[in-house]
Amino acid sequence: MTDILLRATGLTKSFGQNVVLSDVDLVVGRGQVHAIVGENGAGKSTLIKILGGVHRADGGSLALDGREVVLNSPQAALENGIVVIHQELSLAPHLSTVENIFLGHFLHNALGMLDHRRMRKRTAELLQRLSIEIDPEIPVGRLSIAQQQMIEIAKAISVEAKILILDEPTAVLDANRVDTLFELIQRLKEQGIAVIFISHHLEEIFRIADSVTVLRDGTKTGSSSVSEIDQEWLVSRMIGRQFATHTSKKRQFGAVALELEALSSNGAFEQVSLKVREGEIVGLAGLIGAGRTEVAQAIFGVRPHSSGTMRLYGETVRLSGPRAATRRGIAYVSEDRKAFGLLPNRPVRENMTIANLPRFQSFGLLRLGRERDFVRKQIKHLDIRLPGMNVEITTLSGGNQQKALLGRALALQPRVLLFDEPTRGVDVGAKREIYRFIEGLAEEGTAIVVISSEMEEVIRLSDRIIVMRSGRVAADIPRADASEETIMRAASLN
Amino acid sequence: MSAETSTSSSGRDGLGDTGRRRALALFRRTGILAALIILVIVSSFLNDRFLSVPNLLNVLRQVSIVGILAVGMTFVILTKGIDLSMGSILGVSVVLFAGILDTQSMAVAIPLGILAAMGLGLVNGIGVAYAGIPPFIMTLGMLSFARGLAFIYTGGTPIPILNEAFYDLGNSYTFGVPNPTLILLGTLLVSGFVLTQTPFGRSVYAIGSNEEAARLSGVPVGIYKTIVYVISGGVAGISGLVYASQLSVGTPIAGQAYELDAIAAVVVGGTSLFGGKGSVTGTLIGTLIIGVLANILNMTGVDPFVQQLFKGALIVVAVFIMARSSKT
Repeated sequence: MTDILLRATGLTKSFGQNVVLSDVDLVVGRGQVHAIVGENGAGKSTLIKILGGVHRADGGSLALDGREVVLNSPQAALENGIVVIHQELSLAPHLSTVENIFLGHFLHNALGMLDHRRMRKRTAELLQRLSIEIDPEIPVGRLSIAQQQMIEIAKAISVEAKILILDEPTAVLDANRVDTLFELIQRLKEQGIAVIFISHHLEEIFRIADSVTVLRDGTKTGSSSVSEIDQEWLVSRMIGRQFATHTSKKRQFGAVALELEALSSNGAFEQVSLKVREGEIVGLAGLIGAGRTEVAQAIFGVRPHSSGTMRLYGETVRLSGPRAATRRGIAYVSEDRKAFGLLPNRPVRENMTIANLPRFQSFGLLRLGRERDFVRKQIKHLDIRLPGMNVEITTLSGGNQQKALLGRALALQPRVLLFDEPTRGVDVGAKREIYRFIEGLAEEGTAIVVISSEMEEVIRLSDRIIVMRSGRVAADIPRADASEETIMRAASLN
Repeated sequence: MSAETSTSSSGRDGLGDTGRRRALALFRRTGILAALIILVIVSSFLNDRFLSVPNLLNVLRQVSIVGILAVGMTFVILTKGIDLSMGSILGVSVVLFAGILDTQSMAVAIPLGILAAMGLGLVNGIGVAYAGIPPFIMTLGMLSFARGLAFIYTGGTPIPILNEAFYDLGNSYTFGVPNPTLILLGTLLVSGFVLTQTPFGRSVYAIGSNEEAARLSGVPVGIYKTIVYVISGGVAGISGLVYASQLSVGTPIAGQAYELDAIAAVVVGGTSLFGGKGSVTGTLIGTLIIGVLANILNMTGVDPFVQQLFKGALIVVAVFIMARSSKT
């Protein structure tokens, strides 16, 4: 690698006490594809955000073309030719490809009016140069996600991007589209553009990348040219974290509480079978987009299943919605607290009882005293730190919010608990406590499904781990055989 | 990864912080009440007849119709909705009261008029909750539709009301208090009770706060949203009762643009247009602030045209101050 385009040295970043990136180096050559891999929480997003000017590094330096640069805003990154393409695309759906590409720097004619002809011509040239076959006149919202992604890349090229950062671009694509994307990346390379490529799918690294950097817990654990390594090398550097396997007592499993048999939901997952017994914790592992949340939604009745059967305590059921599910003793804690969990600007007390108001009423009236007693007890039990039960829930920290939402689920006295990413955005202390509550619930005989993208979490909590890949069950691993390696292999390799 | 810091210590020992937050919350809750009290004090200096019992009762009587509407509107706005058709539904009920009283007794006319108003509210509710039509559009449509019904029913000419007992309903006093005021207070008490003491009321707040979260918690969102519009329709019918009785005539233009006054009272009263936050007590105070301001401007002989400026400015300034104070 003779022609170095980007060189980052000693990048360090922490949020409060939490060091998320520590002394990370990164070298990317002109016309090269450089992959960054690592588990969730390894620091990939932070690194991208520093390169994209969203975050400012606490320490370290960045050099472009041998010249030191300071990127203190996304605008600054853009001016230096660094464009980040996120998973959530940022096109204006009602505008055409031409308009999207020129958004923000429209071409004008002498009269100050939009010069449609020139913009159309330039767009056509651009698309041709990248061999993208799209009608540039129709609104991009009517195109497929894959096509929109290409337009976004084309837009980046149109502003003379030198470094293109693709954040998990393949997560939203099916296999054929991935091929097309890789062909496009190949053409970008030939034009001297450097691509930084984030992916969880290890086989993709070997298909497209020239070099790779591995992150773990915020530090660089390896960097190499791809031709010199194999998957073993990657996996061993991504994991290898030592952590105490949990010591909770062996639980007694009871009857099968929840059973899915070849359950399918169009476009989301297929032929998923699983059994959860009373007192058992089943972990659903897999990459983001593997269909795990969708399975939980189907169990909870918010997503219809197209075929297969679901049984609750042996009885075949088809739930019409959350109301039917909660009545049957199923509770669901969503991965997205803000969108599907919190009632912002309502007190913690109301947040904790909304799922089971019937329990706090008699003769159609709320029994506020009974409600207060319950909430007080739960706050103590879950050790929620707060100035009072009537403060708005959004004033609490992430960990305490999560505990309050767990309290909401507990108000239902659930027989089956679906817990999606139980510790997302939660600090370490609260994390450990949440684990204990989950285990405690299982000991009391609740059947629990934990969905988690954190290997460590799944392994620590689960009695059995079901690994999903592309909407199907890829492996069913008993606790004894579970390791980060077995899970990662099942989740990301074909 | 978000910028989460450990909170194990900051929760309990931050007493000073808690105190400040409490003070702010108190200000937020009492801020509008304080504003009303200040307005009353200032008014009493501007005109010595202001604080007289007859004048105060007069204010209470004058705000009744819009006040009742505003109470119903509060339900809708708490769910993050809006009901632009309340004035028109009021109009429908007014002409129905008048028309039915022509041949029937009060015992027939009153329930029928209010039921019709609830029926129109039901249409709004189904449109919003089940057809997924945005509340603004659904009730904008109803605003025109219901007004059309009122005109068709009357043929465009007002129907006089000759029933004595019906006249008394809106014009006489009980225990020295004007009847319309009592009806306002009754509506307010029942509404406040429902909102704070029943699972339905609690769910109304939850729906406005985060509809998806409420749905996932098992709240019957569709049914409750529908009920909310039935309530606002029914309440429009009740205020129509006061209107028809006070004027003793069923005019098809009754209540035109009243919904806007009701919305103003609700937002001045501190209920958030973004849903999930507010109370009917606030709405009452908001109604009174607007009513007292109009009264004192009248008494001091301010040009009615200029009065409009005051009212407009009041709405904007009140909401501006509230938005500021809620940013902790």
